[in-house]
Parts: sequence; structure tokens; C-alpha cells
Amino acid sequence: MQAVKLLAAVALVAAALAGCTSSTAEPTRLTVLASAELADLAPVLADLRRDTGVELALDLGEASTSLVPGQYRHDLAWLSSDRFFQLKAKGAGFAGPLPLATATMLSPLAVGVKAGKAKELREASWADLADRAASGQLRFGLADPHRTASGLDALIGVATAAAGTGRALRPEDVTCDKLRGFLAGRAFTSSSATGLTEEYLRRQDDVDAVVDYESVLLSLNASGELAEPLEVIHPRDGMVISEYPLLLLDPGKRAAYDRVVGWLRAEPAQRSIMERTGRRPIDPAVPRSDRLSGPIGNALYFPDRQEVVDTVLAAYDRAVSGAGHHVVFALDYSTSMAGPRITGLREAFAALNGFDSFFLGETITVVRFAGRVLDERTVTVSGEGDLAALRDFLASDDLADGTAIWSALDHAHRVAGADAVVLMTDGENNAGMSAEEFLNARTGAARTYAIRFGEADPVELDRVSRATGGRVVDATATSLLDAVQEVRGCG
Amino acid sequence: MWGNFFSTPGGRVAANRTTTEEPSLTIIRPPRSAFRRKRFLVPFVPSVLVALIGVISLVVSGNVVLKLDRIVVLEGKIASKAEFFTDDAVRRILMSHGIQVHLTQVGSREIATSDLDGYDFVFPSGKPTGLLIRNRLQEEGKSFIAYRPFFSPVVLASFRDYAEALVRQGTAKPQPGPLYYDLSMDGFVGLMREGTTWRKLGQDNGNLVLAQTPDVCWSNTAGTYLGLVASVTNGNRAPVTEAEALDLATKIKPWLLSQGMSNEDIPRMYFAPEGRGFAPVVVIYEHQFLAHQLRVKAQTGAVDAKRVLLYPEAQLQSVPEFIGLTESGVRLGELLTADPALRKRALELGLRVLQRDGTLYERQVSEFLGEHGIDPPAIGVGDTEAVLPALPLLEKMIVEVGGCKR
Repeated sequence: MQAVKLLAAVALVAAALAGCTSSTAEPTRLTVLASAELADLAPVLADLRRDTGVELALDLGEASTSLVPGQYRHDLAWLSSDRFFQLKAKGAGFAGPLPLATATMLSPLAVGVKAGKAKELREASWADLADRAASGQLRFGLADPHRTASGLDALIGVATAAAGTGRALRPEDVTCDKLRGFLAGRAFTSSSATGLTEEYLRRQDDVDAVVDYESVLLSLNASGELAEPLEVIHPRDGMVISEYPLLLLDPGKRAAYDRVVGWLRAEPAQRSIMERTGRRPIDPAVPRSDRLSGPIGNALYFPDRQEVVDTVLAAYDRAVSGAGHHVVFALDYSTSMAGPRITGLREAFAALNGFDSFFLGETITVVRFAGRVLDERTVTVSGEGDLAALRDFLASDDLADGTAIWSALDHAHRVAGADAVVLMTDGENNAGMSAEEFLNARTGAARTYAIRFGEADPVELDRVSRATGGRVVDATATSLLDAVQEVRGCG
Repeated sequence: MWGNFFSTPGGRVAANRTTTEEPSLTIIRPPRSAFRRKRFLVPFVPSVLVALIGVISLVVSGNVVLKLDRIVVLEGKIASKAEFFTDDAVRRILMSHGIQVHLTQVGSREIATSDLDGYDFVFPSGKPTGLLIRNRLQEEGKSFIAYRPFFSPVVLASFRDYAEALVRQGTAKPQPGPLYYDLSMDGFVGLMREGTTWRKLGQDNGNLVLAQTPDVCWSNTAGTYLGLVASVTNGNRAPVTEAEALDLATKIKPWLLSQGMSNEDIPRMYFAPEGRGFAPVVVIYEHQFLAHQLRVKAQTGAVDAKRVLLYPEAQLQSVPEFIGLTESGVRLGELLTADPALRKRALELGLRVLQRDGTLYERQVSEFLGEHGIDPPAIGVGDTEAVLPALPLLEKMIVEVGGCKR
């Protein structure tokens, strides 16, 4: 594998030098493949043309995700982010030199939340936002991550926060679909960056928020078209920032490119960009305006492998496919569970929040068992009332004798439409089917995730879980809550 | 016909072989406690290295400041020291000598692997990359003269609350000067080895404790830092065999790659007002930090008290090499080492300026900072050193960790 990095150019010769050059600057027109949101730079580009004689003809689109290494039809590319371009080059083993690139301005990805709802979210993490989204309290717009840099940046931010490893996301960190709760709040989408803001303007009465670059959110506020202003929320974790690199695709245009870059990065242009578009200056020494002076959260360590992006996108596709998600919990209510164990089980369920929250549209079946299946309850979450009903059901105190693990599991697997079965038990099977009988009689493709605690037999649980494509999580080694969180979203 | 030799400014020539010189990096270690006052080893290196095949006609006579009646534009490929040439004062001084520079900024290691046709000079930020380039130029039969006008230690830069979190944890210790801390690299590597997050150290940040660098395939700081982490991991001993070096590289690789996609603009990100969120701990050069503090002090009357430096207990110098490839390039190299105005400006930009004979007036930086009302870091000239992996081994480790091409 080769590590390919973009070159950064510093142009010094241009007009900047003591006024002793540049009378030679011929009027030049450069074609530029540009990210759609850069349409807001039109007045800045007029100044650029006046001062340098270089006209930039922007060809607007989803440039950050569509530019392919080596296949260029423009003189320059001006992307919100070249990270995906870099990943593509690295993933494909692209051997040629990559274009010179110079960062021109900054804008972090953020969540614009209606002022009325924003107060409680000012210090929010992505997990807090996921929590609200799962329960229907935060309905937002998110651009298609397959097509737009803002959508993909947001998705990677959320996925990195959900994995919670503190390191750059790896494919193996995305095994369980922890994005479903967050994405349950996705009320609308768009295949383009500009389409998303237009859709928000149309739907602003019905929804709460839109995920986009800070500069876009500030421009929306300044547009006069919002009934209620948006507050820019910077999630505390998983921040991703765009650096708007200008890439030199045709090396023959280097002289004009240098003029453009030199002009853009000089302080007057940087201030003008900040005032007109709400993007932050690339120069650390240029003071930020008042509206750009607050903290913006901690940047995530951005993944450096295309494989990670592919894995996250696949998880996204599953989560938004429209197919409901149905998880069956088979819970041991035998007498050995009395006391701290049953209390711990209830607490673990009650503590599922953030990325682990039950979410709108999710179907949950709880099967309680002892020597036989005691009873069963199914809810499809449409609001807080459904979750309360589930908690009431778990509060039942009718523990009974016997432990029919495999019969209960068999019952759980027969629940129609189950995507995954989570079995929790603290004992050894002493009633009903044997493990062998269960495996022979098994129907459906749902995976079994077994949470073992107390005296449960690890070997047999492991064998059966693996046979269904799942695995055992040992709650004797950690806490029951950790174990429940670990399998949450799996299957 | 090759000529490989060192040249001193007086024109005396000492036979030597540039290809086999120097262990790649010199770490200066304190003789006893990690938290003793740290010291520099003066880089006793000739300030000029010459390899000639006669294409460049050299003027190494001392009288190099030739006034020209027209402006010459030099093409340079450069890394972090672009900051020197983009300085307004430096540009004015060069202009007074009839020189403008047009720069293409890349990483130091990238200079060594990329096309150098059409350039008058290259300026990698450290000896390891300098030597890669010189070796390559010799293989290609090209003339050059290398200059070492100044140097600057590789350091970790951070924010006060992060540094204080490391102090509470026992990995760092404040120096007398309020902007500086001593960092136990053993402790810091331990935090990386254990996968500690900043949250565990009391910071509101769930990311792993590490120092962000540019791509190790790309930059001198990243390669130098890799060498330091490797040596510390190996019990403060450089690996000797290739097998040992590669084992070590495999071991430290996950720690260095946890930062994910690297950013070539790490110093700029760190110094930005948003820097605390972008990059709370970064590997940079001391001069970048000192230049920032001098600028802030001049503008506001006070230093930037939020940003602090963490000095690894074993000092890591980095000696950038200006390599002139054409007559004009050589002229600029001579100016850099000889022109009093440029040398003074280099000091004002936080660089430790070498004398023409390659020695250092050790108190120059502390005196200069003191004159400007900034407390100096507690470092000086010492006599104890340890050695990082030899260059060929370091290069193999860099390729292993970064998956670099070639």
C-alpha cells in the first residue's frame, strides 16, 4: 500500500511582493470543479478577478465525493474536503502524483437546531443527539453520505462517537449497527448539499434540525427565510472540519493557480470570506468574528482507509433501508435471579440510552422464561409510552423454578420477523429441550447473542451462539450493562 | 569525477564522505534524572557540505553577496521552513539582494522522493531527509552544496490544561518558565501502550492520548518522532539489527496510526483559535512555538498562556539542510549562512542560529527571549547524548509503519 499525500503550495511570487511584480498578469479563465456550497463565494470571486485577472468558472456539484484520482476534466478542483479523494487514491493504489492542494478556509460540520430546542443541546455529544433522535424528539435533515461530503463527514463523526474507542475508526468497530437510533431521527435527506438546505426551508415547520457545515447554517440564518433561527450546535465529540482545498488538476496552470491561492490566503480575502460566508480563516492569526468565537468540540481522529468508509456506508444503508428492526430478548426469570441479578437486569434495560436507545419504529419482543416460557410481550416503539410498558413488563416479580434455556431460545427464534435474539441467563439448562434439540429444530436466520452471568455454562452458550452466527458476551467479567450495550445493535 | 568533501567557509577542504556520516538523529539525554535540567549538544557539524561535479561554479570565498541589477526568481521545494521564507522581513532582505523565491511546499521526505528538475534549491527540515536527498543527488550525478544555517528541537506542543493533566498523572513536570514542561517519554509511551484516553486523565475528550504528526511517509517531524518513540519503547536503546528494528516498528505502529488520517498542516491547526479542538497535542518544531509567542507578545503585550511546550527529556534536535542545486541556489545558501540580517531574523523567528563554523552560541535564544519579556525554556548546551536508530534502519521503520511507497 502506498501512502499518498497531497502537496501544499505556497505561492510567494505573486502580487504580494512589494508591488514589484505582477503587472504581467494576463486575464485568465480557469475551469473549476467545485463543491456546490461554494456558490456563496460569487462576490469574493468577483473581487479575485478584479485584483488578479483570474476568472474562476465554477462547475458546481458534489465534487468532494465525485473527483477521481487521475481523471480530470477541469483546470482546478475546489472541494469542501479532499479526504475522500485521498482515501480513494490510497484504496485504489493510485501511483501517479496527486495534485498540488492548498487549504483555503475552514468550517466544522455542525447541527443547526431550532432555537427553541437548542437550549438543552448546547453541550451535547453525538450520543446525546442520538438519544433524542431515537425517541423522536429530534427530527433532522442529513444529506446522502454516498453523494455528499457533509453527509459522509457527519456519518463518520457519529460512527466514531458510537464506537467510542478513542481512535480512528476501524472496520471492526462498525460491526454492530449502533447508528440506527441516531438515524431514526433522519426526517429528510437529499442527494445534494444545496438540495438539503432547500428541503429544510420547505419543511422547517415540521422538523427540528439540519446537519451541515457551520457556514451553511450561518448563511441559512442570514437568508431571512427561516421562521425560527437555527442555533449552531457543535457536538462535543467527533468533530470533523472542512478545509476547502484548492487543487491544481492541470499543472500547466500553476502560475494562475499561485495567483489565486496567494490572493485567497491573504488577510483581506480571508476576512471577506469570513464576513460573507461564515467560513473561518485558514490563517491562525486572523481573529475570528464574534459568531465564530465559541468552542467547536474535539476533532475525531479521521479514518485513513477506504474500507472504513465502505463499512460505515453499508451500516447506513441497512439502517435507513426502511425495513423495521426487530430484536427478541429471552430473559431468565428463574428463582436464582431473585435479588441483585433481576434488579441488575432491569437497570441494564433502563440504562440503555445514547447510541443504545430503543428507537422509533424498532420492534422489541421480551420473552420471560424459567422452567418454561412464562409470557411474552411485543412493542413497536412509537413513543415513550411503549418503553414504559416494556419497563412495567420487566418489573414482574413472578420468578419461577427451573431453567429451560433452549426451549425459550427456540420460542424466541419462532417470533415472526426477528432480526436478532439476545439471550440472558444465569443458570444451567435443567428443563425442556437440549441444546442439540434446539439446533436441530432451529428455524429462521436470526443470530443469537448470549449474555452469560452467574453460573451459566459458557461452553454450551458459546457453541449455540456461534452456530447461529452470534457470540457470547460474558457479563461475569464486566457488568451486565456493559454486556447489554455490547450486543445492542448487533444482528 | 566526484568530489565528496566538507568545506569550511574559509575554503579549506576536508576529505570526508557525506554518504556514511552521522547516525541519523542525535538525542541528547540527561545523565541522571529525567527531570534534570536538560541540555543541548551543540551540533558539531560543518555548516557547509559540498558535492561537486563541476556544473555549479562556486563562490565560496566569503564575498558572496553579489549585487545584481535584476531580480532573480528561485524555485524551491521546501517543507516546514517555508515559514522562514514567507516572513515579510525575510522577503524584504532577500529582495535587497535581488532574490525572490517561489516555493512548492511539500513534506521533507516527499522532497526526497519527488521530482527535483527545475528547482534551484530544496530545504528538507532535518538531517535524515537531508541525507536521503544528498544520497539521491549523488547517485544521479548531480552537484549540490548543502548548508546548515540553523536548527530547532522537535518538541510536543499542547494546551495548558492538557499539560496539567499529564502533570497530575506524573508524566510531565512544569519547568520554572510558565510556558514549558518536561515530558517523561517513558510515561507518555506508557499511556499510548495502555490505550489511555484523555477522559481517563480528567479531560473532556474521549480520544486516545497521543501526539499528532503529519504522515510519517511525508514529514521530518513524524519520522523523527517515530524514531524517538521506537527508542523509548526499546528501553532507551536504538535497535541494532534490521529484524529488531522491524519488530519494534510493528510494535509501535498501532500507537502511531491511532491518529488516523494525518494532516500536513498540523502546526497551523494547532495555532488556530480552534486549535484546542483540532489538535490538543502535536509534534512541531520549537521555533514554530517561539515565533508564535513572540508574535502574540508583540501584538498584545502578553504571551499566549494557553499554549505550552512539552520537552521530551531526551532532546531531539532537527538540523534542516538547505541544498543548493544551481548557482543561484548556492548563492541563497551562502546568504542564509553569512548574511547578518537574515541570521538575525532567523533568531527573531525562534530558530537557533549556528555560527559559520557550525557551533552555537548557547545562550542566544534565552537572551533574545529575555529581551522580549518572554521566559526562556530551561535548556542549554550539554555533553550527553544517545543515538536513535541509524538512518537506514529508521528509514525501514518509517516505510513499515507508514506503508510508504518505495
